[in-house]
Amino acid sequence: MLTTTNDPLFRKSMMFCAWSGYMAVIFYIIGGVILGGMTPPLLNAGEPPEEFVRKITENLPQLRVASIFMMISFALFGSFGAGIAAQTRRFEINPVFSYIQLVFSAGGMVIALLVAFSWALMSFRPETYHPTLVMMFPDFAYFCALFSVPLFGGWCVMIALPILLAEEGKEPFPRWVAYANLWAALLYVPGQLILFFKDGPFAWHGFVALWIPYVAYFGWIWVMSIAMSKVAKSTGNEPPPELAKTGAV
Amino acid sequence: MMDCAAKSKGEVTTSPPQKHIPGELGIWVFVAGDLMVFAAFFVVIALGHNGEQAEIFAQSRATLDMWVGVLNTFLLLTGSWFVAKGVEKSRTAHDSAISRYFSLGILCGLLFVANKSFEWGAKIIVGINPMTNDFFMYYFVFTGIHLLHVFVGLGVLLLVRNASKRPITARNRNRTIETGATFWHLVDLLWIVLFALFYLL
Repeated sequence: MLTTTNDPLFRKSMMFCAWSGYMAVIFYIIGGVILGGMTPPLLNAGEPPEEFVRKITENLPQLRVASIFMMISFALFGSFGAGIAAQTRRFEINPVFSYIQLVFSAGGMVIALLVAFSWALMSFRPETYHPTLVMMFPDFAYFCALFSVPLFGGWCVMIALPILLAEEGKEPFPRWVAYANLWAALLYVPGQLILFFKDGPFAWHGFVALWIPYVAYFGWIWVMSIAMSKVAKSTGNEPPPELAKTGAV
Repeated sequence: MMDCAAKSKGEVTTSPPQKHIPGELGIWVFVAGDLMVFAAFFVVIALGHNGEQAEIFAQSRATLDMWVGVLNTFLLLTGSWFVAKGVEKSRTAHDSAISRYFSLGILCGLLFVANKSFEWGAKIIVGINPMTNDFFMYYFVFTGIHLLHVFVGLGVLLLVRNASKRPITARNRNRTIETGATFWHLVDLLWIVLFALFYLL
């Protein structure tokens, strides 16, 4: 059975998945930070609907281009997540956590894509829609991104568990990666506060509910991409020979 | 100093113990990360105390019963003491007495949850909730996030308690115990700062 060292295709595939993560972050920075006004937030949950329409109408071209970049960024979550699951799979005789991870990454990608869809619709024809309807699009976008704590947090926990539960020497990633995932999951939690507040640090434009989960999420993608790059460069964890014999590799 | 004194008396000095990270490196990554985020929370709360709403903060703070906070601090510190004793004993032995230390730690945690529920309940009954003003918004949310840590910590202590029943030679037993205990001490530490910020400032 093949190890990373003598499987050039696996090395390239893992590098592709790692770069999916890096590119997802870069495209988000272009789409969500520089152009799109998602972080830092262009809009404010506490403002009247007319103010939403005014700000969106004034920034139409860049919001539209931003939606395209965000769409690309979020679509890359799929191959990013599949890479992590593939590495986890190599260490499982009977796969369980790798399958769960795939479910979570597919779910995460779809929900994230809805964020980009809402951003695009928000800038589609704000002058025609009723202002409260325009207001609903950014509301929906931030709710998809921030309120989905069990989905994105659950994904992190499902990456951490097979590492922590593994016997010594059979972890798919270094153990500190598991703790980094648990930390990230905990940092997403304030996102659920956005349902209860329209103003202050716990609203969807606030420091605690928006910035902490967002920085944690994209930081987490970067960390996991580094971990996958290491696997691709044959410096990551390798399954022990007995796992190779069972055909799990 | 002590080393010099021992040498001057001609006593045999033992070589310093090997460097040992309690638990494992990963949990310290987590602890450092969590402390960083809570540091940001503390700044948010402190800014509220000194901002435009300083008067509202002072009035609201006065309605909190400091002794409820003191009791909760006492419960967590006592819990941490039990856990620390359990860790110390577990390094040299394994018997039912050790898991009892962790059970007592868990009991302290549960009493903390009960006390917090009464405190929150008493506030909500008289119509005070997170929407009342910014002080209570911070109070409920940040003590709530801490309470989430307590719940996670209680689950972790259950794992630690199970691990303490395993033979001392069992693989990774001490690592599990020390890692879990480290998390519990973090929960304790975070509360002490929250207690100072909400009840004492």
